Amino acid sequence: MKHRSSPVLLTVLAMAFLCQGLLQRLVIFDQWSRDYNPGKGKMYTNAMSPDQILAVLAGFREITAGILWVKADTFFDQGNYDAILPLIRLVTLLDPNEIDVYATGMWHIGYNFTDEEQRSDRRYIPSALALGKEGTRQNPDTYELFFEEGWLWYHKIDDDYDNAVKWFKEAQTKKDMLTARKNLLGMAYQRDGKINESIDTYYRLFDDSVKLYAQENAFGNHQNRDTLESNLDNMLVRKVQRGFQAELDNRPLNSYDCYPPFDVGFSVKASVVEPNVLRFEGTWNVLPVGTRIRVVLRDLNYPKAKPAEMEWDSSNDVNLDPPRNATFMQEQLFVKNRRFNKKVDMSKDPTMYPFTSDNYVLEFYYNPRSAPPHIQDKFSWNGEGMTDKNFLNQTVRPGQRVIFASLPITRDMIKRYGQWVDKTPVVKTSNYQESAPDAGRADDDAILKIPSLRSGMSGSK
Amino acid sequence: MRPILAIASTTVGEAIRRKVLLIILLIGVLFIVVAPGLGILSARSETTVLKSFMLGVIQGVSAIIAVILTVYMIPNEIERRTIYTILSKPVQRWQFLVGKYLGAVLSLLLMMAMMSAVMALMFFLQQQSKNVGEVAELMKGPMMYFVQMCLLAAVAICFSTFVAPLVNFFLTVGVFLVGVFFNPLFQSLQDNQNTAPFVKGVAKVVNTVLPNFANYNVQNPLINPTSAIQNEGRYYLGITVYGVVYIGILLIIGILIFDRREV
Repeated sequence: MKHRSSPVLLTVLAMAFLCQGLLQRLVIFDQWSRDYNPGKGKMYTNAMSPDQILAVLAGFREITAGILWVKADTFFDQGNYDAILPLIRLVTLLDPNEIDVYATGMWHIGYNFTDEEQRSDRRYIPSALALGKEGTRQNPDTYELFFEEGWLWYHKIDDDYDNAVKWFKEAQTKKDMLTARKNLLGMAYQRDGKINESIDTYYRLFDDSVKLYAQENAFGNHQNRDTLESNLDNMLVRKVQRGFQAELDNRPLNSYDCYPPFDVGFSVKASVVEPNVLRFEGTWNVLPVGTRIRVVLRDLNYPKAKPAEMEWDSSNDVNLDPPRNATFMQEQLFVKNRRFNKKVDMSKDPTMYPFTSDNYVLEFYYNPRSAPPHIQDKFSWNGEGMTDKNFLNQTVRPGQRVIFASLPITRDMIKRYGQWVDKTPVVKTSNYQESAPDAGRADDDAILKIPSLRSGMSGSK
Repeated sequence: MRPILAIASTTVGEAIRRKVLLIILLIGVLFIVVAPGLGILSARSETTVLKSFMLGVIQGVSAIIAVILTVYMIPNEIERRTIYTILSKPVQRWQFLVGKYLGAVLSLLLMMAMMSAVMALMFFLQQQSKNVGEVAELMKGPMMYFVQMCLLAAVAICFSTFVAPLVNFFLTVGVFLVGVFFNPLFQSLQDNQNTAPFVKGVAKVVNTVLPNFANYNVQNPLINPTSAIQNEGRYYLGITVYGVVYIGILLIIGILIFDRREV
């Protein structure tokens, strides 16, 4: 049975069609474009566009990862680091063999989350390390991520160098390790206080470089051989000059550069000059430039905190969300003319410095292992040539003589609440001398004079 | 009206007895339950990922249910010959079609309500707060998805009057994907000054003629509450009216075709 179409129904159909078209064009589309289009505005920056989702669903994981990585790179150029983090995670999940993404991701997370004064957010470092470890698990046959993990320990954390050694050693077991990068293991051993191992490494690498140069008479190979030879020479001289060999042989150190230990005369005063703004002033009797004293301001109960650092390697899982309610500020105090004076402004970055706890601690730390060679020449690798009447510490870093001081400070003081509204809160070491222009400084005879091209001085006390 | 309601209630009963639909629903609910564990994908934005994932699951699962539920609806009745017993009674063909469609819509409503309830519960548990306003805000998503799914079901019902279920499946999914993805594409074509006027014109026609499923993807401002939306109520009303009008169009087309069809 066939029916004729009702003219009324057809008219209604035509009217309805016209109506929906008008609705779509005149009412809906503009507002959709403005408010709901996923391809515009801020929402787009944090998400995949529909075509990219479709590509993932269709199985093109690597292509999608590549598109996202290009997008992350654009955000990096714009300085929009917050948007990069989820993309890095997505890319590494989509394509775990993207070594560049792991390497760059570690770098972003470890270095690029900074405050207005370019201090990086140290709370992210465990995440950067965890991302690197995941990268090494996913890509165990190439050296790159092992090297990057070691570099983060060596350069960014700049402490606990045994971890840098561990990762650099692992990287050297991979066949594709670049020759020039192998040298860094010798440096890491040196900073870890393992001088004989450093020299052994340099010998081995030097032998390899000689063979390589014999095989291929290239400029790079020649340069590498010369660099290793120079490093080896320096290490052998320093090992003797700094009294390291004498110490190994149980001989007296009094004829070596590190004797007698030099009193650095550390003192410090921290004033809260404005809410969340601290000024650090103090003394350090070493005249040659190159001293950087670490200052840490953290919650008294910061998770897994250690003296002047935290348990950086605390996680194997990539958690890109640091403890957002806790504060961990780390800065370097540069010494010039035996004094340091630095203002640290934390007022502009409340997410990085939330100051939600009641009690905090200020920690000051100096480790000669991170010092430049001209200062190490006096202090040696383990601080044998360094002392301080008040703050020499041999327990916070076992086997090393470091300078360590800690001062308690409260949230009310930092934020200038209560009694501190009109009164400048000050915390200082007991030896800090307020009135004297050279507070804490000993007389000129006690000033460390190390041979230096810049100062032109000679001889050491 | 009575025959329509009788057919609709029978259809709901059939739908909730179909194991395949229940399994898909169960998978959807499971995904929503595990959603709070996806914090690993986030960087200081667990709530964003949670909302996005849960809304995505509801939309995706509802779309699958809507398509599977409706593509077999009319052909099965014809194949099993049960349609004869219905049409031999004082039931018009249009009443049969509308009743079937309403049954599908009610089934969708039940299943989407269940997923939405689980989503609200998981959101409460994850947020550890009793912010009813935030949950109510989030519910705008499933509400608009429901209109979207009603439109999708209407597309499938319309196609089911003249094509085989397998072809209908691909046709409906194709229309849905084009409807979802064409708006952003149309927008980018419109914004791109280098696009040829002819291409812009074709895009405009297609964008106007095809059912525009992207209108109902309102999740972005819900996921990112910082986005300022003007005249939200007017927009929701506009797309609901658009949906109802388009559903009407599809049902009328379906009725016209079904009326002429030999069964």
